[in-house]
Amino acid sequence: MLFDLLPHLVNGVTLGLLFALVALGFMLIVGLMEQINLAHGSLFALGAYLALAIVGGESAIGPYLGGTWHSLPLGVRYAAALVIAPLLVAVVGMGVEVLMRRTYDKDPLFGLLLTFGAAMVLEEAIRAVWTTRDYVLQIPSVVSGGFIFQDLIWSTYRFYAAAFAATAILLVWLFIEKTPYGAVIKAGAHDNEMVRALGINLSRLRLFVFAFGTLLAALAGIILAPIWGIRPHMGVDAVVPAFLVIVLGGVGSFWGAVVASLLCGMLIGLAGAYASEWSLLSIYLLLIAVTTVRARGLFGKKSLLEA
Amino acid sequence: MSEFKTTRRGLLKGSAMTAALAGTVAFFGPWRHIHVYAQGQKKPIKLGLTCDASGQYGNSGQDDVRGIRLAMDEINAKGGVLGRKIEWITADTETTPATGSRVAERFITREECGFLIGAVHSGVANAITQVAAKYGTIYLNTNSSAPSEAGENCSRVKFVWDGNGTNFSKAAVRNAVQGVGKNWLLLTNDYVWGHTTSAATQKQVEAAGGKIVDNLLVPQNTRDFTSYLLKVQQSKPDVVATAIGGDDIKALRTQVAQLKLDGKPAWINNQQDWPDVWGAPESLFGVFGTTWYHKLPLPGVEQFVKRWQTAYKDSPIPVPGNVSYNGYMATRELLRAIERAGSTNNVAVIKQMESIKVSAAERMQHYDAFMDPVTHQMQQTIYLARRNPKPSDNTDYFEIISWSEPKSVQDDAAPGKCKLVGYDKVPTYEL
Amino acid sequence: MLPSPQASPYLVTPTIATLLLLLATVPFWIERAGLYPYLGVEILIWSIYALGFNLVLGYAGLPSFGHGAYFGVGAYAFGLAQFGLAPNLWLCLLAAVLAAMLAGAIVSLFVSHRRGIYFALLTIAFGQAFWFVAIKWHSVTGGEDGLLKIARLPVELGVARVDLTSNVSLYYFVFAVFALVLIGLWRLVNSPFGRTLQAIRQNETRVTFLGYSVWWVKAAVFTLSAAISGLAGALFAMAQMSAFPDVMSLHHSGYIVMMTLVGGGLVSFWGPVIGVFAFLLTRDIIGTYTTAWMFWFGLFFVTVVLFKPEGIAGLIRDVSDAAARRWSPGRVAVPAREPGE
Repeated sequence: MLFDLLPHLVNGVTLGLLFALVALGFMLIVGLMEQINLAHGSLFALGAYLALAIVGGESAIGPYLGGTWHSLPLGVRYAAALVIAPLLVAVVGMGVEVLMRRTYDKDPLFGLLLTFGAAMVLEEAIRAVWTTRDYVLQIPSVVSGGFIFQDLIWSTYRFYAAAFAATAILLVWLFIEKTPYGAVIKAGAHDNEMVRALGINLSRLRLFVFAFGTLLAALAGIILAPIWGIRPHMGVDAVVPAFLVIVLGGVGSFWGAVVASLLCGMLIGLAGAYASEWSLLSIYLLLIAVTTVRARGLFGKKSLLEA
Repeated sequence: MSEFKTTRRGLLKGSAMTAALAGTVAFFGPWRHIHVYAQGQKKPIKLGLTCDASGQYGNSGQDDVRGIRLAMDEINAKGGVLGRKIEWITADTETTPATGSRVAERFITREECGFLIGAVHSGVANAITQVAAKYGTIYLNTNSSAPSEAGENCSRVKFVWDGNGTNFSKAAVRNAVQGVGKNWLLLTNDYVWGHTTSAATQKQVEAAGGKIVDNLLVPQNTRDFTSYLLKVQQSKPDVVATAIGGDDIKALRTQVAQLKLDGKPAWINNQQDWPDVWGAPESLFGVFGTTWYHKLPLPGVEQFVKRWQTAYKDSPIPVPGNVSYNGYMATRELLRAIERAGSTNNVAVIKQMESIKVSAAERMQHYDAFMDPVTHQMQQTIYLARRNPKPSDNTDYFEIISWSEPKSVQDDAAPGKCKLVGYDKVPTYEL
Repeated sequence: MLPSPQASPYLVTPTIATLLLLLATVPFWIERAGLYPYLGVEILIWSIYALGFNLVLGYAGLPSFGHGAYFGVGAYAFGLAQFGLAPNLWLCLLAAVLAAMLAGAIVSLFVSHRRGIYFALLTIAFGQAFWFVAIKWHSVTGGEDGLLKIARLPVELGVARVDLTSNVSLYYFVFAVFALVLIGLWRLVNSPFGRTLQAIRQNETRVTFLGYSVWWVKAAVFTLSAAISGLAGALFAMAQMSAFPDVMSLHHSGYIVMMTLVGGGLVSFWGPVIGVFAFLLTRDIIGTYTTAWMFWFGLFFVTVVLFKPEGIAGLIRDVSDAAARRWSPGRVAVPAREPGE
């Protein structure tokens, strides 16, 4: 019995880590800047598309990069995509942040609306460049394929993706909590005057945080592309669990979001074992159950957001 | 709807009369096209193309448009129908039923289209059908393959051109139960199309002496199939039959290919639409159905592909597939039916459509095809295919492994579910 | 600013009367303007929805990003009441309003002590949950394919019976509902309740000090707004003869925010209506020429958010203010105007 359950638990944990990876950039921006970035999903998708263009294959931009590039081994191109695509997306994110500056002294609603508009424009732009068809991102053979364990076939890529997610989460946490830069960022979110008094350029700080958040969105897009596929509305599909996870974990709580992600992943995994038709609904039920008991989510603290 | 007596003319006239009452103050908006026809030149026949350009089936919708346009262009080149040119208009139905309704209303009432063509998603097709039925407008469902389209959701004004889930499973199941094994597992998308398709499969399997070990319901928009695949591995069926549509099947395919689960168990998929598989041959898996393939060794196929390619040099998909083919065939047969009817009177055209018979040569398929007058579904050759191990060129994805005669794969349950209204209940018009 | 604090003494202002008169003549000329009656029906329905939505967004300042849920609940409830209870127009409309109200009331329990982005995030999450249930529970809702074959029920007035199957007659019915909602909301926003709402938007804490229960006011306005959205949803189900889950999606919930904001819902009672007209007309006209119209509308929307958050209504006001200043150079400030005109 328990043995039959084990694969579902493992599957749930890996899914949870992937949820956390998708939510990571969104969580940073909402937690540190108190802005909801509704363009998170579109930037996530853009990351995947740019990676596709860099890795090559049959995408619309890839061929222009020339034959020399394509003669490089897939592993090199993939690694390059993992670095370059998120940086390019971060530049786009910085553009959004620059526009968003006009909204900082206004109702937070305007930031929300601006990013909703930006999401629409980005999604349509993706459609215009890459059309509505879907693509497959090539991945190095080291991480593709499957292996057999206990009579079951397991996907190598899934474990790679989960490990990648866990590492990214840990690194981001170390950066925020254990480095002086992280301390400044956190201070900036909660006490603007203090940061100014320390002689730190607040607008540059915000630019950095936003760029960092969108970079993580793009990274998540690249990692999840081989599992979920690349198509224009992949961003919308991805961003919905991210919202849920953030609300469930409590806005502004790093580990809250991670725990909520794992919980959602496990729930979907286990529901998949017993009542598969309920597997996605189960996370909504969890959300309602948790917010009934704990209005601020699992680990939410009273924050500036609700003043 | 049954007590509906108003004619379409009446509906249009009602608003025309109110407009007349408003007096002679004529205000023509800047976007109103005013046609002034030269003497001797007849008013064109206008078709409304209700095709998705965005959303889940945006790709397929545009491939549908390419087939429909080719048929119109070819007939226009020969002088049109009844001496009238064919005109067309299209708007994005966004794979959204609510948008489909609005576009249909607009095409019928404002653009004065006498005929609507195009659909991939069954929800959008239903939405358009309801509007079309209200006005009596003839509607061709080119590519939505839910069995309910020619069953409980059939309509006197709607004609269905794609093979449906029942046709495909009938073609596939018997062979597989005898050849592969008796234990089947169903993987079903949790919406009408999935349920009706899987129900059809189950009946076929049991009739052929097999048994269903489990039926896993998969919510729409599932992107991660791992938990389902784990369950599949645990229950060790001989055959997995899927009824998973749209983007979901793409995600499933990718994940099955990654896990290398393609070999055992055997996978039977319903239908693979060409625009859905184009660009990703490596993830084709199992046995699947189709109504047409661009490398069928039949006379006329090669010429058709050439004509299509000449017309669409910049198409994102370089060769026509089943979606474009269905659009082409539906439109061509509609225009021929109008010619035979001798007028655009909708009831006269419907009667002509109901008696359509197309020879195998003209269909570019192995067998003759005919329109079922009871369900309004085109009965045609159904092909089974799998991934081609030895492609002859970079578009040669499929290996066609069998073809079934229309009669042998007919959906026997459909006539019992489909109730068409009488001709006298259809609002009449002639445009 | 939104309607100024002094209450309008009239039930119907000249603006309301002019607008209603103009809308009453629409079926007489809409086809000559190159449009079609069904579009008129849809514009009025969305106007009702946007007016109801703006109670929450513009007046109370609560960014609800999941309002499509209540619109959808209304649409489904209308259809289900028709099939399950009795095919009576009044009964079905009432069922739709009550169902949406109930849904709104339940959600308001969770969101009423929130504001700002946390409010937005929670409404998104709940909106998604409703949307998901609509897609999932297909024995009731028809799932992705929608609830089909909803009839346009006739208006039963005791002695008379008006058939609504044609778009023109449906237009007049929707127009009547629109007029009632419009006048009702006009009264409401000019009542003490309306002023409390605006006070909450400006400073929640101060309202609490004044002895009002902010929680109750927010819950009440959210529920009312949901009920009006449900009414619009029911009319939409009639117009479409079906109910579909798409209107409950995040995208569609975003569209209503866009319409309301672009029109100028933050500064004017009329903003939502202006926005609906602008959105649906451009969609219909530009949509004929390009399938990428959302790209352009998105750009336009971003520009509005950045440079003119007061929207089209704000722009109109600026122009008329400039004109007023020009014609009366002696006056420095323009006097307070009638609310929302």
